[in-house]
Amino acid sequence: MKIFIGAENAITPLGNSVEENFQSLCDGVSGIRLYKNAGFNKEDVYLSKTSFDTEHLFQTLLENCLEGLKSRIDTSIIKSPKTILILSTTKADVQNHLVDAIEISTAKLKEQLELFQPPIVVCNACTSGLQAINLAADFITAGLYEHAIVVGCDVISDFILYGFQSLFAISNEPCKPFSEHRKGLTLGEACAVVVLSKSEAVYQQTPMQYIAGSSSNDANHISGPSRTGEGLYRSVVKTLAAAQMNSNDIDFISAHGTATVYNDEMESIAFDRLAMNNIPLNSFKGYFGHTLGAAGVLETVICMQSLRKNLLIKSMGYTEPGTSKALDLLIENKHTDVNTILKTASGFGGANASLIISKR
Amino acid sequence: METLKETLKLQVIQQLNLEDIKPSDIKDDEPLFGEGLGLDSIDALELIVLLEKHHGIKTINPEDGKTIFRSINTMAEFIVNSKK
Amino acid sequence: MSFITSYCRISKDKCSVNGKNILLINSDSELEWIKQLYKSLQIDYPKFYKMDVLSKLAFIGTELIKKNSDFNFYTDDDVALVFANRHSSGDTDLKFNNSYQQELMPSPALFVYTLPNILIGEIAIRNKWHGENLFTVAREFDATFFQNYCNILLSKNSQACVCGWIDAMEDNLEAFLFFVEVSDTSKLNLPFTSKIVANLYKA
Repeated sequence: MKIFIGAENAITPLGNSVEENFQSLCDGVSGIRLYKNAGFNKEDVYLSKTSFDTEHLFQTLLENCLEGLKSRIDTSIIKSPKTILILSTTKADVQNHLVDAIEISTAKLKEQLELFQPPIVVCNACTSGLQAINLAADFITAGLYEHAIVVGCDVISDFILYGFQSLFAISNEPCKPFSEHRKGLTLGEACAVVVLSKSEAVYQQTPMQYIAGSSSNDANHISGPSRTGEGLYRSVVKTLAAAQMNSNDIDFISAHGTATVYNDEMESIAFDRLAMNNIPLNSFKGYFGHTLGAAGVLETVICMQSLRKNLLIKSMGYTEPGTSKALDLLIENKHTDVNTILKTASGFGGANASLIISKR
Repeated sequence: METLKETLKLQVIQQLNLEDIKPSDIKDDEPLFGEGLGLDSIDALELIVLLEKHHGIKTINPEDGKTIFRSINTMAEFIVNSKK
Repeated sequence: MSFITSYCRISKDKCSVNGKNILLINSDSELEWIKQLYKSLQIDYPKFYKMDVLSKLAFIGTELIKKNSDFNFYTDDDVALVFANRHSSGDTDLKFNNSYQQELMPSPALFVYTLPNILIGEIAIRNKWHGENLFTVAREFDATFFQNYCNILLSKNSQACVCGWIDAMEDNLEAFLFFVEVSDTSKLNLPFTSKIVANLYKA
């Protein structure tokens, strides 16, 4: 069975639609700005924030992004019993609802969209987005549903910012993934959506194809990645095997690239073990910041634009090689035939996930 | 200095949730990381919090932590020197 | 057809494995109930004391399941970890929020536990399991989800699944774990169906 993936949309500081977002990337615009007094000690902090003037940003982003979905699909599938909505988030609206944020949000979604099935929520740190897409594909392949709306969303809050500051993980300049002098991550917020389906007919625009995906745990440390890139390596091996592909089939890697010293080094080791040093690679975090639970969906959505436009986007913020193993970092946008993309993600709790998408 | 070290041991045990460990179990010159108490990178960050909360010492970056937190002795020395 | 070959329930009063109580908590003891449970396992794992309550419950539950099943049969890629709960990491979120609101400094040791999937990480670290893993949040325990997803995993690369519903919000705690294998190694005669899982959960 072919699994189609399409109807992608995204709302970020770089645009209120996926088209606007991709244009910003083509133009080399980053959403990262300096915010005064944002930090725990009232220091200025670089963040990628939307400009919506609302106290309920999480729900607003979800609603707006899903509204934007309606012109991209046959809307009759939204209320269908054969459709499942999968939400990917790490903290939802934790700033307004310290407990029950996820429950409140999913109840609102179900009501607003008149969903037949209660939404499923993937809450698996920064791999949530990819794992939500993989779960959707698994369910459709198993015949449990025919369509899946996968939406990823996370917003910046004091809770999250202060937490990462306590880990000394926040960079004091816009993040520089894979670079020699990288100093940590830049937080971002976004909402992105994509629809998976066994039927090509539900899409207004030609969909891509979801090929395969998997997850694997590092089994090493709850917040530090494996020094051997074990989980990421094993996940990509599984995903390639399920896709019946090898690294030669991959035209581009959208890596996780958070710009922490340890994450990027770990990824270089994993990709080196996979003999993927010469596949064009980037991180999108230099444009959007690290959008946590939204990242996997958002960055997959952008990859889909690359497939549509045959245009690879450079790795914003990259200055000079900064990992022990060489990677083929994109230093400028590149027009080229793009047919198959590998997307990876890693997260706290030893989480690692990957997926492969292709032009249909 | 000796009182400070004993206080520090109690604070370390409490801040890091070190179960079944009494101050008398921690030697002044014993390495806190690796061998000895076997603390890890998150514990190191909590020690930074400890220094600020209990001793008013701010802005230690984790890189300096490696020398400051080598043992109770080095921690105590650092605290005393910071107050000069 | 796959089978539930081991299951356990943990609450503040007691702990049962395969339907049999194995420990009654001594409420007169100075030792907190969860530490009594840990000590009853007779293992040496000091990292336990740094875990948040979700990870402690999941850890104890998995150790009890391991005592009742033979894991030597499995390689480090074979065992999938599928967990869910209602309140995400809410209990720890409250504590972390408190650390910077009341205690004036955000605690890194608490922050790293403000994600529910960390409990999966703790189990993976303890057992060196590199298999598939997923954490979901749902309003209530959904046996059908576990049946569907585990069957999918078992049809792909996984050979067994450790599953759990581990929830904690202040004084309300519950843990229900079960182990799914492709053959009935423990002869409990519990086919892995959503109906049977739901009954075990409610019992």
